[in-house]
Amino acid sequence: MRRALALTAILAALLGTAPAQEEAPGLLLEQRVFEIGRKLRCPVCTSESVADSAAELAVQMRARIQTQLEQGRDEAEILAYFQERYGDWILQDPPKRGPHLLVWLLPAGAALLGLASLVVFVRRWRRAAEVPVEVDEADLERVRAALDRG
Amino acid sequence: MTRLLLVVGVASALGGLFLFGLLRGRPDRDIPSNLIGRQAPEFTLPLHSSYRSSYGETFSLGANAGRPMIINFWASWCAPCYQEAPELATAWRERGTEVLFVGIQTQDRGRHAEGLEFINRFGLGFPNVIDDASLVSIDYGLFGVPETFFVNAAGVVTYRHIGPVSSAVLEAQIGALIR
Repeated sequence: MRRALALTAILAALLGTAPAQEEAPGLLLEQRVFEIGRKLRCPVCTSESVADSAAELAVQMRARIQTQLEQGRDEAEILAYFQERYGDWILQDPPKRGPHLLVWLLPAGAALLGLASLVVFVRRWRRAAEVPVEVDEADLERVRAALDRG
Repeated sequence: MTRLLLVVGVASALGGLFLFGLLRGRPDRDIPSNLIGRQAPEFTLPLHSSYRSSYGETFSLGANAGRPMIINFWASWCAPCYQEAPELATAWRERGTEVLFVGIQTQDRGRHAEGLEFINRFGLGFPNVIDDASLVSIDYGLFGVPETFFVNAAGVVTYRHIGPVSSAVLEAQIGALIR
């Protein structure tokens, strides 16, 4: 019985069913701030998000995100807040509308084009492989003889 | 023939993309402000000590509604701000009765003494306030310093200038504000 209980406990731990240690609320809030910060471009940096940058403005933007989270705003509301001030530019992922759609559609189009080219190439290659190769009978005889000799 | 066309097409597309990247300049300088045509965001900020006897402890945008306004964002560490400050000082001396000038020291946390030194160096007579937390900076969608916003008497942002502002830009925009 004791062995069975121990085995069950080990299994539960392995399967992750043991009660998880609760994370501190402050830590969770900070994680959310950085999650949202990763979706915003740092206005005074080059190719850095608000979460990654140490620039003063990025630090203040993270503080603004934290204040808004504490006020109960959700991610969409916070992103809309920054978008209202900076425009679509501020979003790391361009919105899926208007000319921004090109950014989303072009890679998919390129992938489809690549796939289609691959299919055409493979078909041609197969077709070429199916055509019997013409071999000179005398050459073939020489090869057979060489093989027979070992 | 088809293969040649394909190679030429792909090479042209890549070359075009490369040229676009080279010729588009600095993208941050081309982004129009989202505030143009909208009400200038309200703010109330503490004034630098040298202005308190004339303007009080704080400066509020709302309290000065009804006047055309020039809002200039600067920082004590910003070299282009030193370049434009004499132009602003001259424009304020010449047109300060027609347009209200306001300077906002931003993205410059805690460097009040350096800010005051900047103000004294150029003899900036118009009110300058301190945006220590850069909150007004965010409200105005700033990409850096210096940036200058022109606000008409109805409180609507009419123009945003990124980088050091010249006397020509100031003259043209003040003209548009008071017309």
